[in-house]
Order: sequence, then C-alpha cells, then structure tokens
Amino acid sequence: MKRSIITNIIVVLFAVWFFQSGAKPPKEAETDFQLNAFAHLPVKLEGRKKPIDTFARNLLTVLSDKQSVRVDGEGVSAVKWLLDNISGRPEAMDYKVFRIENLDVLSSLGLEERKRFRYSYRELLPALNTLDGAARSAYGKEDRQRDLYDKQVMKVANKIYLFQNVMASFEDPSSIPQEQLMATAQRYMRLENYSIPLVIPPNSGNPRWRPLMSTLLASHPAMNTVIEGHDISVDPLAVHMGVMLAAYRTGNADLFNNELMEYGAVLQADNPAVFDKLAFEVFYNRLGAFMKSATLYLLVFILSLFGWLLRKEGLIGAARALMVCAFIPHTFAIIARCFLSGYPPVTNLYSSAIFIGWAAVAAGIVIELVFRKKAAGMGNLVGGIAGFATLLIAHFLAGDGDTMEQMRAVLDTRFWLATHVITISFGYMATFVAGTIGVFYIFGGLFTRRLDEETSENLYRMMYGTTCFALLLSFVGTVLGGLWADDSWGRFWGWDPKENGALLIVIWNAIMLHARYGMMVKNRGFAVMAVAGNIVTAWSWFGVNQLGVGLHSYGFTQSASFWLLVFVLVQFTVVLIGLVPTRLWKSSSL
Amino acid sequence: MMNKLIDFFLSLKLTVVLLVLSMILVFAGTLAQVDQGIWTVMDQYFRCLIARIDLHVFFPRSMDIPDVWIPFPGGFLIGWLLVINLITVHWANFRIQVGGGRKIAGILFLLLGVLVTVGVMFGWGTASVAATESDAFWRVFLRLGRGTLAAGVFYIACLLLFRKRAGMVLLHGGILFLLIGEFATALYAVEASMTIKEGETVNYIDHSQQLELSFTDTSNPEVDTVTVVPGDALKDGALIKPDGLPFDIKINHYMINSNNPKPLQGIPEPLRNRYPKYEGYGSRLYVAEQPEASGATGTRNAPAVDVELFNRATGDSLGRYILSLWFYPNFVNRSWDMPTTFNVDGKDYTAYFRFRREYLTSPGGNPYSIKLLDFVHEKYEGTQMPKDFASQILLVNEGDDVNRELRIWMNNPLRYARRTFYQSGYLPDDSGTVLQVVRNDSWMIPYLSCMIVFVGMAAQFIQSLGRYLRKP
Repeated sequence: MKRSIITNIIVVLFAVWFFQSGAKPPKEAETDFQLNAFAHLPVKLEGRKKPIDTFARNLLTVLSDKQSVRVDGEGVSAVKWLLDNISGRPEAMDYKVFRIENLDVLSSLGLEERKRFRYSYRELLPALNTLDGAARSAYGKEDRQRDLYDKQVMKVANKIYLFQNVMASFEDPSSIPQEQLMATAQRYMRLENYSIPLVIPPNSGNPRWRPLMSTLLASHPAMNTVIEGHDISVDPLAVHMGVMLAAYRTGNADLFNNELMEYGAVLQADNPAVFDKLAFEVFYNRLGAFMKSATLYLLVFILSLFGWLLRKEGLIGAARALMVCAFIPHTFAIIARCFLSGYPPVTNLYSSAIFIGWAAVAAGIVIELVFRKKAAGMGNLVGGIAGFATLLIAHFLAGDGDTMEQMRAVLDTRFWLATHVITISFGYMATFVAGTIGVFYIFGGLFTRRLDEETSENLYRMMYGTTCFALLLSFVGTVLGGLWADDSWGRFWGWDPKENGALLIVIWNAIMLHARYGMMVKNRGFAVMAVAGNIVTAWSWFGVNQLGVGLHSYGFTQSASFWLLVFVLVQFTVVLIGLVPTRLWKSSSL
Repeated sequence: MMNKLIDFFLSLKLTVVLLVLSMILVFAGTLAQVDQGIWTVMDQYFRCLIARIDLHVFFPRSMDIPDVWIPFPGGFLIGWLLVINLITVHWANFRIQVGGGRKIAGILFLLLGVLVTVGVMFGWGTASVAATESDAFWRVFLRLGRGTLAAGVFYIACLLLFRKRAGMVLLHGGILFLLIGEFATALYAVEASMTIKEGETVNYIDHSQQLELSFTDTSNPEVDTVTVVPGDALKDGALIKPDGLPFDIKINHYMINSNNPKPLQGIPEPLRNRYPKYEGYGSRLYVAEQPEASGATGTRNAPAVDVELFNRATGDSLGRYILSLWFYPNFVNRSWDMPTTFNVDGKDYTAYFRFRREYLTSPGGNPYSIKLLDFVHEKYEGTQMPKDFASQILLVNEGDDVNRELRIWMNNPLRYARRTFYQSGYLPDDSGTVLQVVRNDSWMIPYLSCMIVFVGMAAQFIQSLGRYLRKP
C-alpha cells in the first residue's frame, strides 16, 4: 500500500516537471528586443484574431512542418524568424524553412536533395520563375489531368506565394516615389483579395482590421496626388508598427522596445478588448500540451505492456497514474481550444483526432475503473496506444495552418457541432477501443501464453461492452447528423459519403452484436470482427474525405491517403492472423 | 414449405448476411459518387430492388477497368427483407408473456404511445409559423424532447408487456419506424425552390424536377390569363389544342438538354445552314440538343422544345419557335429574362418553357406570399469565406391573418403551412435569395425514432452492464 503511494507521488512529480518545461518564456534582458511582448500583439488572419505568436508558428508550420527553425544547431523561435523576415533583415533570406521533398520538383528547380529537405528563400530565388511557370501550367489543368509532379509543384508554389504575400503585407511604402504610388496602390488592392495578416486592429480612426502596408500607404504624404480627394489619414498604430520594424532591421533595440510600448499603450487606450485571450493563447502555444501528453501516453503503453505480460501490478498502477497525469493537461488543452476558438471541441480533422484520442484515454480510465482487477492494465494499454496514435495523427494534420479556423456558414452552428459531431466522435472512439482490445487479444493469444481462459473471457466482456456503446453512440450520432441535414436543407438522409461512412460503422457494430447473439462467433471471432471494425472506422473517418466529393470533403491530403492504406493493410493482416487455427496459438487453453 | 420459409426468416444468420450485403452496397454507392451524381447513384444503388454495381468503382480511376456491372440486391430489396426478418424474429421470440391487468395496462400504454407519436408528427405543440427567433438549439431540443416523451411511454408499455426484453423490442420497433419514415419520404417528399429578388413579392414555387409550357395573355391590363401545358404532354410530333387559347401547338422536337444560347452569327456556316428558321429568340440565338448532363460535372439539364403554332380558326402557321429553359429567369438565377412574345388575333401572348409552377396556399386554401426585404451575405473579415447567409422576409397570408417579418438563414428554416423554407442560394451580386422549399409530412419521424431507439438501446445495455457488475 505504502509503496504504491510513493510511486504515485513520483509519477505526479515527474509529470508536473515534464509539462512545465518549455512553457515559460525565455528570459530577455531589458536591453534586448522584447520579442515576448511582440509575440502578444494581435493580428487577424482567416477571420480569427490571434496573437502574432500563433500566426508565426502556423506560418512556419505550413512552410517547414515545424514550429521553430534550427540554425547551426540552435533553435530560433517562430516569432524571431517572422520578425527577421517582415522587418527585411538581409540574413532572414538564409533561413532554411521551405520544405520541398519531391525529387522531381527539386531537380527541376536546380536544387540538390538534402537531409530534412529544407531550403532557404535565397536558394530558391533563381528558380522562382521556373516554379511559377510550372505552377501556372499545373493550375491550368483539370484536377484529374494533374500528375504527382503537378500536385507537388502546386504545393511548393503555394508555400512561396503565401510567404511572399505575407512579406508584402508588411512592406513599408512610405519611401515610394510619387510616380510609383498608383501602381503600388493597385498592387496592394489586389493583395487584399488574398488571405493576408491584418495586423492593424480596429481603433478610433477606423473600425476595420487592416494590413500594415495599405494602412501606411494611406498616410503617404503624396497619396492625395494619386487619388483625388484622398484624406491623408495617419494611423498612429501603423506608424508605430512601421518604425518598430525599421528599428528591428537596423538593430536598434531601444527604439524597437520604445515603439512597442507606445503601440501597446495606444491600443490599450483605444481598443482594450482586442487583447482579450491573447496572453492565454500564447501560453497555450508554449505549453504544447498535446505532444507532451502523446509522449507520456507512449510511456504508459510501454509500461502497461510489460505489466500486462508479466502480471506486475506495480507497473500497471504506475502506468495508470501516469495516464491520469497526462490526461489532465490533455483535457485542459481541449477546453482551452474551445475557449479560444469559441466553438465546441470538434470542428475539423485535427480537432477530431485530438478529441477521439482524449475520449479513448477516458474510456481506458473507465475500463480500469469498471473492470478493476479484471482489467489487468488493459485500460492503460488501450488508452496509452490510442492516445499516442491519435495525438501523433493530429500533429501531422496540423500542417495546414491555423487549427482553430472559422466555420463556413452551413457548418457554423454550435448546437449541431456540440451534439452530432461529439456523439459521432465518441462512436468512432468506442469502435477503435473495441478494435484495439481485439488486436491485443489476437497478439496475446497467438504469440504469448498470457491469454488464459479467464483473460479471454474478460477481454471479450470489454469488447462486448464497448461495442454496445459504440453502436449506441454511432447510431445516435448518425441520426443527429441526419437531423442536422433535415434542419439545413430538408433532407434527413442524402447518401452523402460521410453519412454513408457513419452508417457503415453502425451496421458493422450491429453485425457484431447479431453474430454474437446468433452464436455465430465466440470470443476469438468477436475479437477478429472488432479488429475489422478498425478498418471500417478508419475509412469513415479519413477515407471518405479522400474521395473529394460530398458535403464533408474537407481536409484532403495526399499523405493521409497513404497512411490510411497502410493502416488498413496492417489491420487486415491482423484479421488474417486472428484467423490462424487456435491449435497454433501459444495460449493453448482456448 | 411454409415452415422452411419461416425458418429462413427466423434466422439471425439472415440478419447478418443482409447487413453485410447492405454494407457492400453502401460502400459501392459511396465510391460511385466520385464520378456520378447523387441522384443517379441513388436510383442505381439504393432506391431499387436490384442494384447495378459498376466494377470500376472499386479501383483507382486511373486504372483501365472494363465497363461491366454486377447485379446486386438493391436498397429496397435488402430493406424489405430486413423488415420481414425483423418482424418474424420478434413475432417468434418476443411473445407477450404476461396476462391480466398487466397486459391491459401495457396495451393502454402502447395506444397512448401511438397517440403521442401521431400528435408529435402532426405538429402538436408547435406554432403554425415556426421560425428561429433567438437561440436555435431550443427548437431542436424541444423536438428531441417530444421524441423522448413518446419513447418513454412506449418503453413503459414494453416493460409491462415484455419485461426484461423491453429495450430489445423497443429499439427494433424504433428502427422499423425509421425505415418506414424514410420509405415514406422517398415516395412522398417534394423538393422545390423559390427565387426572390430584394423587394420582390413571390407567391409561387418552382418544381425543379417537372416542367411546363406556359402562355400568358397579357392584353388585358387588369388581369393576366395563364394557360399551361404540362411537360408530360410535350412528345415529339404531338399536336396540343389547349382550351382557352386560339392556337394549336405542334411539338417538333423535345430536347432533354440544350446548350446555353449562343449568338447565331458565331456559329460555323454548315451548322447555321441546317438550323431551323425560328421566330423570336431562335432567329438570333443558336439553341441545339446536348447530351444529358452527368451528375459528376455538377451541371443541370436544360430541356428545350421546338414548337410550331397554328391559328386554330384559319389553320395558318404562326411561326416556329424554340423555347428553352435557358430563357426562364429562375433557371439562370435571374441573370436575364427572355420571354417569347407573339400576337394572335390582336391578343399579346408571352410564352415560357419553365419549371412547373405551384402557387402557395395554406392548408385552409388561402393564398400566401413571401416578400424579400433584405438579403445578407456576410463574410469573415479579410477572407472570402462565407459567415452567414440570411433572408429577411415578410410572410403575408391575408386569409389566415398572418403578416410577419421573419428571418431565414443557414440551419434555421421557416416552417409554415406544411412546407419548410430553407436558405439555399443567392442571386448574383447578392441581389436576392434562393430558398429550398420542401414538403415532407414524415419529417418528424427521424426525431421520434432516434429517441425511441436511443431509449431502447440504452435501457438494454445498462441492464446488461448492471447484471455484469453485480456478478462477483
């Protein structure tokens, strides 16, 4: 008894230490550039207000799949990288941030293949015309005519265009000669049609969010010679921001800090509400709870695996405590996302992965509670691997930019997002949990002696119970989706791919239960069917999006198709393995 | 023989087999949507007895797969077999095993449940004009709440009649109800649309699946007299003599789909030489038959009809006309309006080939209309992403004393006079709105059956979970 308390205390201390590391901002001397304060400034992009910290991280993630840059082995924060670029420091062009992994694209741009596939803007400069030409020809084709090269070229070109647009939106046009003003104004107006960072918040002078370059241009002293009757409006915020960037470029930290404080003071006096939630979001970014939880879940899984195979209660107990410790920040981060975005937890593939992982861990904890001794760590095993896998999936889905995007009109209903989407996600989760237990059943039985008669019965009970809940949740979730459709355009059921995917999960769970009631399968057969349920669910979750049709066809990604295929093949192999005659199983008691 | 048949339908193996078949069908029907329209897929896979599964749907589209199809049990066949299977199994295994007062009480509750269900279905507890005014979710919660009420009554009935198997019986009853509801929807639901410009008042809907030929006598400044010829009558070679019109209509050719009209001068010489000599728009524009639109391209069929009119009294030809759906303003989102006009015996006529028009009336027979006061298309700041589409409308029914300003927006339709008006689209430059108008009297069934199945399933699972937990 005493030993377990000591273990638990050690586990908790370890988890606290693990989560706090990196959450604090790096120390800055008063004479240094106050990057931390700069990271807290507001910017509006893709319809959402966010701190510059988030904007910088997302942009860097889109370009390079990482949230920081490595230069000579030292990490450079996303905000510093962004500031170096938008202020126009010459050395910023040498950051190797553009990830290009396709060899054909690389060779057509005259670049050498290199480890980590990241290239600097300066290296890309000579090839920009070639890239632009190739991208234009790819865009000119119909989607079905595009080959892999075309798609990769478009992907790279989109990164470049995005980067260029962001850079242009932070230009300082105040030194532009009068005769070029007209052309510049037209260029800026074109640019404003794209999604660019609007960094000047609404203030007493103007009620709209505006990009820096247009705001500065409006205060250009010669603007009234270009546009008749133009009222030269000097926006103090834009001026402070402009001077700030210039000071940064020339390395004048005092001036930069001074302007930054002035900017903050003006904004605080003019529109204090604009700072709401920003500091919290920066904290959320720095905490990085999801990846840390993922790491701990993996540890939970490994500990429990040994605990289960060797029947070591102590290991299982420690793993259980660790799982709960990782679950708390995971929960916190999901709530934080809801608070920041103002939407219920699941709004896109990324958040569905995070949420399904969370629910799977919760289910693992519930299994441990409900089955107590009989679970023998199975709840940890399932929660650990499912939590780790889904958070890893989420990590790879985050590469498209802001994961807290605004919702399109038809999807923008918190009621249905909170009921239909949550229920259906729970349904996915429950099917996966049953399937994961099924995998352990098959591997444990075939390759180890661990699966005795009692364990077999217990595992079956867990699978059966989870499948019941999976059927209940996926049925209700699917019907709620239909009711949403009925409420949106008067069609309860429209055979839309995502609807069909959800229906397949419902039917499969129903088949499992009926096969059991009809005595068509026993414990092992049920485990095999549960594993097959993984395939059905994965297809419904990711597969239908890859078809690119229907109302739910968001989040198309090429690599997702590949990994989905890998997953399906692996699960299919497990199903085949599960069908090996029991006399060949190591656990011979069956 | 009869016993064998009953045994066949009594088997849970049949259930499993049918469910597996339905999975394959749904899977194929989903993959088919990559290159076929949803309506085609629905007819080919789901709303039929025998489905035709194209082999190529299972392979990447880049592979060269022979164009063969596999006959497969269709959605209706599987559905009906499942229903028979379900009823047989329940009839054989879930007999009422109670008697006396308990049985009577059970049957009374069953009747009460039916009463509540019917009441909920036909609008008990809802306003006659139902639009969202504040928070949307209460409306749905209330509907689900009414469903739960019905489910609760049914559950008590099942508990009285079937004891421990109450949940099982209830949930399957709910599934049956859901299937019946969907079957009714497939047969009876009608979808139409309504196009209104800002400031305009419209009192009719367009049935976009049906067409008609309309002739309006506009010579009387007080009233217009409209005569319509239903689309079914427009067969090649038919001679139509509508009552009330002084002329006959000869159908030269009915085109299932036609091109977007192009100026005749731009057409190559040989084609132009073969082009019939039309009066009206056909004298300046080129309209010809096109292959039927496939769903994949997202385009719609635009039928056209080539007619010749004859003065009924004299038998003289009044000219040959081409009437295309392209000329009808609601088909082109009001981008243009191209009425075909002509004069017979001193009377002016305007002709359209258009969607079948139905004038709006409430169940009491009183006509009503909708005026679009304002259309709002909001975008997220700094993006092109739509945030909201909303139509501010005025609903007027003088006969029923309704005169209300209402808002219809995404996910928040207006329900009135057994029809539901949904925000569906908008006209160029946000100058007006397109509403989807659906009439479906079984629309409450999914709400009800969802809650019935939920209550039944939850009761059953909680019961077995409790049994398991009580075991040492």
